[in-house]
Amino acid sequence: MSGLVLKNVTKTYQEGAFKTVALQDLSLSVEHGEFIAIIGPSGSGKSTFLSIAGALLKATSGQVLIDNVDLASLSERELSNIRLDKIGFILQTSNLLPYLTVEDQLLVVKKMGGSIKTEDRVLAKELLNDIGLGDKLNKYPHQLSGGERQRTAIARAFMNNPSIILADEPTANLDTKRAREVVSLISLEVKARNKAAIMVTHDERMLSYCDRVYRIEDGVLSLEK
Amino acid sequence: MFLASKELWFSKRRFLLIGFIIVMISWLVFVLSGLGNGLADLGTAVIRNSEMALAVFEKEADFSLSKSTLPESLIDDITELEGVEEVAAITQAIGSISQDSVDTEENGKKTSVIFLGIEEGSFLEPEVVLGEGLKSDRPYQVIVDSSLLNEGFALGDTVTVNSIGLELEISGFADTQTLNHLPAVYVPMETIRELKYVVPGSDMGIKDPISAVFIKGNIDRDMISSTIDGVEVADKKETLNGIPGYAAESGTISLMLWLLIFISAFVIAVFFYVLTTQKVKQFGVLKAIGASNSFVIKTVVGQVFLLSTISILIGIALTYLMTLVLPEGMPFNLQPEMVLIYSLVLLATSMIGSLFSVKSIIKIDPVTALGRAE
Repeated sequence: MSGLVLKNVTKTYQEGAFKTVALQDLSLSVEHGEFIAIIGPSGSGKSTFLSIAGALLKATSGQVLIDNVDLASLSERELSNIRLDKIGFILQTSNLLPYLTVEDQLLVVKKMGGSIKTEDRVLAKELLNDIGLGDKLNKYPHQLSGGERQRTAIARAFMNNPSIILADEPTANLDTKRAREVVSLISLEVKARNKAAIMVTHDERMLSYCDRVYRIEDGVLSLEK
Repeated sequence: MFLASKELWFSKRRFLLIGFIIVMISWLVFVLSGLGNGLADLGTAVIRNSEMALAVFEKEADFSLSKSTLPESLIDDITELEGVEEVAAITQAIGSISQDSVDTEENGKKTSVIFLGIEEGSFLEPEVVLGEGLKSDRPYQVIVDSSLLNEGFALGDTVTVNSIGLELEISGFADTQTLNHLPAVYVPMETIRELKYVVPGSDMGIKDPISAVFIKGNIDRDMISSTIDGVEVADKKETLNGIPGYAAESGTISLMLWLLIFISAFVIAVFFYVLTTQKVKQFGVLKAIGASNSFVIKTVVGQVFLLSTISILIGIALTYLMTLVLPEGMPFNLQPEMVLIYSLVLLATSMIGSLFSVKSIIKIDPVTALGRAE
């Protein structure tokens, strides 16, 4: 089985004498070509879930498998390689680097893995054309609208040809029209490029684009529809 | 370098300010180095620029030309030693000269000089830039430092050695020939004895006295002091330190220089540390999308490298521009190898300074990229 698999994942935080359970016995599997959503109120464990699925945080117990590789056994350096090769992050409010042009935002991902080749430039242009930013290659983030920034972040997430896509509130700070554009774009690219995608959101307007919807509450995951 | 150079270009104004500070610091370092060197030249050029490897002084003379007196016959003994390539006798006397044969404004004005007695044709005889060198059949023709040109002396002038009335003729000028902050007047060995040992008995009964013997070649210094009695041997550095005031002067200047370099390293380190802490969020994002620690560290250190290199190069250019407008009498001598050394030291210290940021980069948790952003 490929894609992302979580088996009985529990995460607890120790704060002094208190023990907080952020995720409890959570199991989930996402296949390539699937786009699922996880909704829940703030403080429900969404961010913790995303951090663990994104190889940023280790689970207290349970297994996290990305393309059948168990993350628990990996070192810090191997984890950053997994993030580079297997995971595409679409971050909240896009989090672009202010001093890079749209094209360079994508190319820096390749630079992290070594050098930038001609085919990388071709891929970057193709991705940006796909999402409708083909004429803004040399613009800086401050010259873009919020929606354009978020679309750039989407293109960046696909740049390293990852196995899974993780989106953290991609529609925050966007109006309904732009939000719909952004989420339909993610959905489109996920299907076209056959990725396993998870979107964490509290924006219930966007759920129609997703194959399955889960709700997380007090660290417990349940299927909503 | 990918991110480093793009950010430098994007945030030009911010980095221009930091670069400006590095330019100023490196400029100050180079100017100070040139001034120190010029001052050292004034005090020691004759010895510093000579090709001598060792110098033989009288025992207990503290490697000082003015305290040492040796017999000239020593030369033959030293020449025979193994490894000696060339030897040259030197005698030093301080005095003053005045221009009295021409009827000009300078007439009667006294100029303090240092007389150096040498054998004509020895390796201590300087290369003249004007006129000609010493001649054995013209014992009263002398070579003088070219700074005396500015004092109104000219080729062919007759000068009088004050207090004894001996007349000398200037036959040549040579560049940077100064010792003890005085312009040198090179006179043949026979002639300097006439003006130095005027009072009977001042030669302490030594026949054909000289001050010291300078040696060229690769010689074991212990061998000299063990084969020849009553002498002590100094290498070039010790001879320089034997010149009155030199150690104190150069010590002061180099203390200032190194303090300056140390402080600048600290200033640069603080700048980049603050810049790094401001960019914690950005680095968190980079790490979240897969950047390794080494990628981020390379970016930060590479940025310091780029900025420092450019700034130091501008500092060098400024320094050389400044030498064009320095006043004539200011002792300034910037040696290219010193510029290179101080540039590398400045670069290295700023690189080390930037390493302070490394620890905080490693500590940045990529999880900060998630959740409520900005």
